[in-house]
Amino acid sequence: MTLASLTNLTAHYDAGEGRFHALDDVGLDVESGRILGVVGESGCGKSTMASVLSLNPAPSLRVTSGTLAVGGKDVDLTDPASHRPLRGGTVALLPQGALNALNPTRRVGALAHDILAAGDRRIKRSESLRRTAARLEALELPPRVLRAYPHQLSGGMRQRVVTALATLRNPRLLVADEPSSALDVSSQRLLVDLLRRLVSDGLVEGIVFITHDVALLSELADRIAVMYAGRVVEEAPARDLVASPRHPYSQALLASVLVPEPGTRGRRLAGIPGSPPDLRAPIAGCLFAPRCEHAMDKCTAERPPRLVTGPRDDSCWRSAESEEAVDAA
Amino acid sequence: MTLLRHILAKLGWYAAAFAAALALNFFLPRLLPGNPVDTLIGQALRGHASSETKQRVYETYIAEFGLDQNLWTQFLTYIGKTVQGDFGTSFSRYPADVASMVADALPWTIALQLPAVLLGWLIGNLVGAVAAYRRGGFDRSVYLSSLFLTAAPYYCLAVLLLYGLAVALPLFPAGGGWSFGLKPEWTGLFAVDAVSHWFLPFLSLLLVFIGGQAIGMRSMAVYEVDADYVRFAESFGLADRKIIGYIFRNGMLPQVTGLALAIGTLVGGALLTEIVFSYPGIGTLLYEAILNKDYPVIQAVTLLVLVVVLVANFLVDVLYGLIDPRIRAAERGER
Amino acid sequence: MKALKALPPRFHTAAAVFLLIAAAGLIGPLAAPAGPGDLLGPSFRPPGADFLLGTDHLGRSVGIQLVHGIRTSLYIGLLAGIAGTVLGVLIGTLAGYRGGLADEILMGLTNIMITVPAIIVLLLLSISLDTRSVTVMGACIGAVSWPWTARAVRSQIASLRQREHVDIARLSGSRTWRIIAVELLPYMMSYIVMAFVIQLYGAILAEAALSLLGLGPSGTASLGVMLHWAIAWESIRGGQWWVFLTPTVFITAITFSLLLVQSSLDTVFNPRLRAGKAAR
Repeated sequence: MTLASLTNLTAHYDAGEGRFHALDDVGLDVESGRILGVVGESGCGKSTMASVLSLNPAPSLRVTSGTLAVGGKDVDLTDPASHRPLRGGTVALLPQGALNALNPTRRVGALAHDILAAGDRRIKRSESLRRTAARLEALELPPRVLRAYPHQLSGGMRQRVVTALATLRNPRLLVADEPSSALDVSSQRLLVDLLRRLVSDGLVEGIVFITHDVALLSELADRIAVMYAGRVVEEAPARDLVASPRHPYSQALLASVLVPEPGTRGRRLAGIPGSPPDLRAPIAGCLFAPRCEHAMDKCTAERPPRLVTGPRDDSCWRSAESEEAVDAA
Repeated sequence: MTLLRHILAKLGWYAAAFAAALALNFFLPRLLPGNPVDTLIGQALRGHASSETKQRVYETYIAEFGLDQNLWTQFLTYIGKTVQGDFGTSFSRYPADVASMVADALPWTIALQLPAVLLGWLIGNLVGAVAAYRRGGFDRSVYLSSLFLTAAPYYCLAVLLLYGLAVALPLFPAGGGWSFGLKPEWTGLFAVDAVSHWFLPFLSLLLVFIGGQAIGMRSMAVYEVDADYVRFAESFGLADRKIIGYIFRNGMLPQVTGLALAIGTLVGGALLTEIVFSYPGIGTLLYEAILNKDYPVIQAVTLLVLVVVLVANFLVDVLYGLIDPRIRAAERGER
Repeated sequence: MKALKALPPRFHTAAAVFLLIAAAGLIGPLAAPAGPGDLLGPSFRPPGADFLLGTDHLGRSVGIQLVHGIRTSLYIGLLAGIAGTVLGVLIGTLAGYRGGLADEILMGLTNIMITVPAIIVLLLLSISLDTRSVTVMGACIGAVSWPWTARAVRSQIASLRQREHVDIARLSGSRTWRIIAVELLPYMMSYIVMAFVIQLYGAILAEAALSLLGLGPSGTASLGVMLHWAIAWESIRGGQWWVFLTPTVFITAITFSLLLVQSSLDTVFNPRLRAGKAAR
C-alpha cells in the first residue's frame, strides 16, 4: 500500500535576475512499512526536496507545483503557509547534524513538551512527560534524560533523543535528511538499526532517507531513487539498482563508490568526468547528456520520458529506444 | 559548592579592581604636576568673598584630609573615612555633609535608571530577537533605528525630547524633579507630580538602552536563527513566539555580559541626561559640584559610580554562572 | 577595491556626510569673518540674514562657533583616536605575541581598565587640570580608551601566531618586530581600520561628554562646549532652538555617520556576518 506519494514537484530559488531551478517535476512513492532511499551528489536538490517533503521549505524557495498525498490527505506544496499544523504530526524531519539539533538551554523534557504542545495545545505537562518517557524507553533511553540538558548527553544518546523527539507525535512519514553524514561508521551502523526498528515497531509508517552514501542505502533502503540536477533519473528496488543500474548516471555513481556486494572486489573506482549543469539556464534535453558517454543527438534535444518496467523505472533515451525496439519486434 | 568557588574567584578579581578604582580616585588628581592640593583649595575658594568663610573652609579641609601629613598617610585617612561613610564637608554648600547630599540625590537617580535599564534590556533584546528571526524590512528598520538611537549620545536624545515634548509641545514639565511650590513628601499629589517629571528623562534613557540592546541581540541572534536547533524546532511547527523565545534565551547569554559592560556607559550617560532635565539626582549633583569646584562632592560621586559599576558587573557575572547550564557544567568539570 | 564596491549604499552616504562635516570644520574657520569668541550682536538673535545660525547668550555667532567647534571636536577625536588605536594595537600585539607573564599582566590591566568606566577616570583627570588644551584633552582620552582595542587585537594575534607562515618566519630567524610587521599586522589592517573608526567615535563622544560637564577644552569652542553653554543658559526652556539644536544635530550626525561606516565595514570584513547574510 502506498503511504505517501509526491507528484510533480517543481521549485526554484530566486537568484538575482534569474531563477535557480532546484527541483524539476520530481515524483516519489513511499510504501507503507518501507524505507525509500534518495541518493545524489551535493547540489542535486535532495536537501531542498527534504525541506519540501518535511513541509518546512526555506522562505526563499518558490514551489510552483507539487502535491504530497500522505495518509489520505492531499497537501498542496505550493502554499507552505498552510503546512504548519501538519509538521511534526503527519510528516516529521530527522535533521542533519543531530548533535546540534537540541536547544542547548532547554531540558529534553521541556523541549518534548513544546513539541507535543505544538500539535495539541491543551496537553498537560505531566502527560507530555509520560508519553516522552515511554518513547525514550522504547529507544532504550533512561528516564533521567528528560531532566538533562543536551550537553549532558553523549553523542550517541543525543542522536537517539533527536530520533525519539522526531517520532514523538507518531508521524506517518519520517524524512531523514542526511542524518548520518556527520557520524562515524559505528554510529552510522547504530542509526541504521534504529531506523529499521522505527519502521518494524510501527513508530513511523515509512521513511524517506536522503543521503549521498549509496553504500549505506544499499543496506538500509527497500527502494532507492537516484537524483541528478533536480530530477529523479531512476528508481528501483535497492537490490536491483545496486546490481544493475540502468541510467548512465546511476551506473557512474555506483562505479564511483565501493558497494559491499559480491563482485565488488577488484572493480576499479571511476570518477564521473565533467561537472553538474548550471541550473540557472533552462535545459531542453537530458541534464546528464553533457557528461554521458552514451549521449546521442536526441539526448540534448528532448527530455527523456519516464519508462516504467515492472518494479523499476528510469528516464533515459537509451532505455526508451531499446524498449521501442522490443515493442516493435 | 562550585558556584561558590566561581563567586569567590570573581570576588577576588573585583576586589582588585575596586582597590585600583579607590587608588585612582584618590591619587589621580594628586599626582599631576604643580601642587595639586593647593590648586584644589585655590580653585575651591575662588569666588568666596568672605575671608572668614575662607578660613573656616581651609581649616576644615586641612583637618579633614590631614593635608599636613604625607600622601600615604592621607590615603589611609581617606580610606578610613570612606569606609565609615564619611565623605567630608561640601565646599559650595558649606557646612553641608557630602554623604547626606549624595544620599538625598541617590533615590532620584535609582528611580530613573533602574527601571530604564531592566525594561530597556528586556524590550531591546526581544526586539532584536524578533528582528533577526523575521528578517527583511522589519529587521532593516529595527537595525537602522536602533543604530541611530545608540549612535546619538544619550543627552542629545534628551535635548530633543525635552524641547519637543516639554517646550515646543508642552505635554510634560520642562525639567526638575517636582513642581515649584511643592515639597518632597509622601502624598498623592506629589507622587503624580514627580512621575510627570520623571517620565521624559526615563523615556530618553529607555529608548537609548533599547536601541543598544536590540543591536547587540540582533547580531547574536543572526547566528542563532540559522542554528540546527531552530530548524529542528521549526520542523515541528512550533509557534513563532516559542522559537523567538528559544533564540532569545540562547542569544541572551552573551547579552548578559553585554549588560555588565553597558552598565558603565549607561551610568555615565544617564548622569548627563539628568543634567539636561535638571533632574535632582547624582548627575546634576556632580554637574553643580564641577561648576563650583566642590571637590569632596565630586570625589564622593565618582567613588559611588565606580563602586556601583563594579558591584553591578560582579552581580552580572554571578548571574551568568547561574543561568547558563553550560557554564555551570564547565565549572563542575562536566561535559 | 572589490571590497569597497561590496559596501552597502549606506556606507557611501554616511562617509559623505562625515566628510562634508569635516570639510566644514576645516574650511569654515578660515572663511569665517570673525572669531568664535567675538561678541558680534545682541544675545539670542534667531537665525536670519545677519547671522545664519543666530547668536548665543553672549551675542556670539552660533555659525562661527559651529565651524570652530567641529574643528576642535574632530581634532581631539582624531588625536585620541590615533593614540587609542596605536596603544591598543601595541599592547594587544605585545600581549598576544609574547604570551605568558607579559600577557597575564597586560590583560589584567586591560580588564581592570575596561571595568572602570573611562568617563570617570577622564573626569578625575580633567578636574585636576586647571587649563585643558585641546592636545592635552586628546591625549587624556586616548590614554584611557585603548583597552577594547587591545583585548580584541590580542585575541586575533594569539590565533594568527599559530599560522604556518609565522612559524616559517620564526624558524628562518626573522626578528620579532619584523614578524609582527610583515607576517601579522597586514592580516589585521581591515580590523585596525574598523577599530580606529570606533576609537574616533568614542573619543568624539568622550570629548562632548566632558565638555557638557563643564570640563571642556579651555578658551575654545567645541560641540560639547556649545551644548554646555546652551544648557547652562537655559536655551532649551527659553525656546532658543538654534542655540542647542545646532551642536546636538552635529554631534548626532557625526557619531551616527561614523557608526554607520563602521557597521557597513563590519558586514564586509567580518566573515561570520557575511556568512550569515548568504545563508537562506
